[in-house]
Amino acid sequence: MLAKSITCGLDGVHGYLVEVEAYISNGFIGFEIVGLPSAAVKESRDRVRAAMLNSGFEFPFGRVTVNLAPADVRKEGTSYELAVAAALISAKSPRPLLHLKDTALLGELSLEGKLLPIRGALGMAITAVESGIRKLVLPRENANEVACIDGLEVYAAESLRQVVRHLTGEETLPQQPSISFESLQTSRSIRHDMKDVKGQALARAALEVAAAGGHNLLMVGVPGSGKTMLARCLPGILPPLSYGEALETTLIHSASGELEAESTLMTQRPFRSPHHNISMAAMIGGGSKAKPGEVSLAHNGVLFLDELPEFQRPTLEALRQPIEDGFVNITRVNGTNRYPSSCMLVAGMNPCPCGNYGSKRKNCTCSANEIKRYLGRISGPLLDRLDIQVEMDAVTVEEIETSAVQEDSATIRKRVIRARQRQLKRYAGTSIYCNAQLDQQGLEKWCKMEPAAKQLLMQAVERFDISMRAYARIRKVALTIADLNDRDLITVQDIAKAIQFRNVDGRYWK
Amino acid sequence: MELSPEKRALLWLSSAEVSAHRVSALVDQLGSARAVWEAFSTDACPKFMPKAKKTLEELHSEAKIDALIRRLEEKHVHLLFADDEAFPPLLAEIPDPPFLLYYAGKPECLTKPCVAVVGTRTPSDYGRHMAADIARGLCEAGVTVVSGLARGIDYAAHEGALSVNGCTVGVLGSGINRPYPSEHTPMLRQIASGKGLIISEFPLDATPMPFHFPYRNRIIAGLSVGTVFVEGRIQSGGMHTVTSALDQGREVFAVPGQTGYIGAEGPLAIMREGARLVTGARDILEDLSLVPLMQPLRRPKKQPPLPPLQRQIIRALRIQPMNIDELAAALKTGTDEIMTEAGIMEISGLIRREAGNSFALPNQ
Repeated sequence: MLAKSITCGLDGVHGYLVEVEAYISNGFIGFEIVGLPSAAVKESRDRVRAAMLNSGFEFPFGRVTVNLAPADVRKEGTSYELAVAAALISAKSPRPLLHLKDTALLGELSLEGKLLPIRGALGMAITAVESGIRKLVLPRENANEVACIDGLEVYAAESLRQVVRHLTGEETLPQQPSISFESLQTSRSIRHDMKDVKGQALARAALEVAAAGGHNLLMVGVPGSGKTMLARCLPGILPPLSYGEALETTLIHSASGELEAESTLMTQRPFRSPHHNISMAAMIGGGSKAKPGEVSLAHNGVLFLDELPEFQRPTLEALRQPIEDGFVNITRVNGTNRYPSSCMLVAGMNPCPCGNYGSKRKNCTCSANEIKRYLGRISGPLLDRLDIQVEMDAVTVEEIETSAVQEDSATIRKRVIRARQRQLKRYAGTSIYCNAQLDQQGLEKWCKMEPAAKQLLMQAVERFDISMRAYARIRKVALTIADLNDRDLITVQDIAKAIQFRNVDGRYWK
Repeated sequence: MELSPEKRALLWLSSAEVSAHRVSALVDQLGSARAVWEAFSTDACPKFMPKAKKTLEELHSEAKIDALIRRLEEKHVHLLFADDEAFPPLLAEIPDPPFLLYYAGKPECLTKPCVAVVGTRTPSDYGRHMAADIARGLCEAGVTVVSGLARGIDYAAHEGALSVNGCTVGVLGSGINRPYPSEHTPMLRQIASGKGLIISEFPLDATPMPFHFPYRNRIIAGLSVGTVFVEGRIQSGGMHTVTSALDQGREVFAVPGQTGYIGAEGPLAIMREGARLVTGARDILEDLSLVPLMQPLRRPKKQPPLPPLQRQIIRALRIQPMNIDELAAALKTGTDEIMTEAGIMEISGLIRREAGNSFALPNQ
């Protein structure tokens, strides 16, 4: 007696189709799963047996062999269990499971026969559609996640029993209504709003310019100057996620099990703020199963590193390539996974170990050497990738009380979107999509200054002893400021403003 | 380099870091340094500290002294003995003058009037700025700026002097081959290879021991007609230099800081005791009669009038340094205009930026 069912496995963030074959023969009583199952998959034998018995099905008597094809790919995770149980029931059932051939089954089983949520449902669902499978049964908790995919009939189930009745046609499950991406977007709300940030005009401007040009940002400030608060505001002023971006981002979160139950496609840009004791594998991705790291989880969003010098140096250095390229390759013995990682890097740090260097209100107690060592933990090449660097002092209670009402995130965001659209138009037909990605040739081609602006910049280069790299950064940032003002040509005002965002570089790292 | 037997003996004593005080006592006692050399291997040998004795023993041969001289020549380090013609007369006047100086660079620096600029290793932005500004002004008037090549105020003073290609003298508390702090080695090279001079009382490879620095400070003060104390606490190296200068009967100047600020403690204390208050290089030049008092202040060239907002910003900053938010509130203008205007003013040098992103006037 042979029966087949269809399910999906997960390789990195993407899925692949797995065919489950169940064969019951005479011989010694036993239950074997073949096809490179990992320990978790082998364990599932006991769960499948218990779930079947507790749902009122008979477990086949005889020698049971289950094959997961393709047999040469290692199978991880628990998402195969529903399909294995269904195939076994089909092999013995008096009534044929009619829909088994054209329905993909995803889900983990509990001993009592309930369906438990799985990770990576989105990636698997996309694979199913791409392979021509139009129907998908999966746990209720995962249903919203795949509800935005076109051309897929989604059925959410709670127990093995429901699934079998659905497959035999006895009692069809209701088809899940598909949710349009647009309807998700309108319901989004901004949790951290710029209007709550008091004072800090320079840092606010820096954040806006960073968002508009996709520039990485470094904030140096005494404790309590609002670095974290500002960073949290950033997703709210970035343009909304497009459908493609939302799909990519959700895919990564789904595969890492970071999505909450019953969540839909993500419409908020991710904001990741790993603690500074994070290991390199957790930051970049890796481990024996090559899971995506924080830099990929922040894909299309913001990676915020607070207390930048406290991070391990190799971890920071390893960030350089993913930030630059927008993807990261994780190579392990059993294969290479490529995860997207195009995120904005926002870093916060104190100016010295005690935190008060440069503060007007408190005295710094650090020695020159201590400060030097502290700042020395950040390498030049990394600093080079932080286009905008801004220094902040703490805001006093008095200033908070008397401060005028500030612009809200929605208003700022409108300007950011317009500036981004200008950039998309300018760079149409190239691989560049924002000013931060401009290289030397790009700067020559697109970064045009009016003569007076150029003169001012040259004057600044001389006065502040600006390095070649800092010079390029200032030009990039000035171009973004011009974009925000709806101009193509960089003016004197744009340069004067861009100059404000380089200060930290000159004072701390010379 | 050909040296007389007397000088060879002095070099021998210096190599064992025998203090100037002790050498002068020995010379008084035995008549000459050469006599110490002669007496060394006899019963009449004067007493030395064990460490010095060991080094003296090792070097007590003409061949060893020759090797030492060759090594100095290789490193382009020269010697200046107390009775050499080029030995700075001001330094010879002090109570405890060094008997031998090692130097690299241009000794001609010392023929010009010298002024020392000293202070803390952890200055405020204001202190650093004042040190550099005063050094610049002094150099432009043809004065040599003396300091100790340490971090902070010393560094700022040398940097200010170098920025106008002026003469500057760095006095080390270690051997010239072992500059301290090591990160200032590039500056040391720049001084020695340019118009400046590096001096040390200590042998080529002497390590920077804490007790060296008071000795170094007396040379800084001793080379100079006056000493400017920019910033520092009451218990500090800068204060020691000031005390040395007073002992030597030299002029002492202090840069005023804010009361209550810990780095202003030293200068304010000596001001109360009569040190001259200094607001810029010109004050020092006038007090030391280095410029004719009749010479009128150089009128700045006629500049086109500034835009109104820039004028307002300057007026506001005269009271105290402010950041963008504070300026915007004070002038009742948008932060965006202030940011742009301040950027332009910073580039043209009308204002400068301090730590924590406050703006201040250049001479504040």
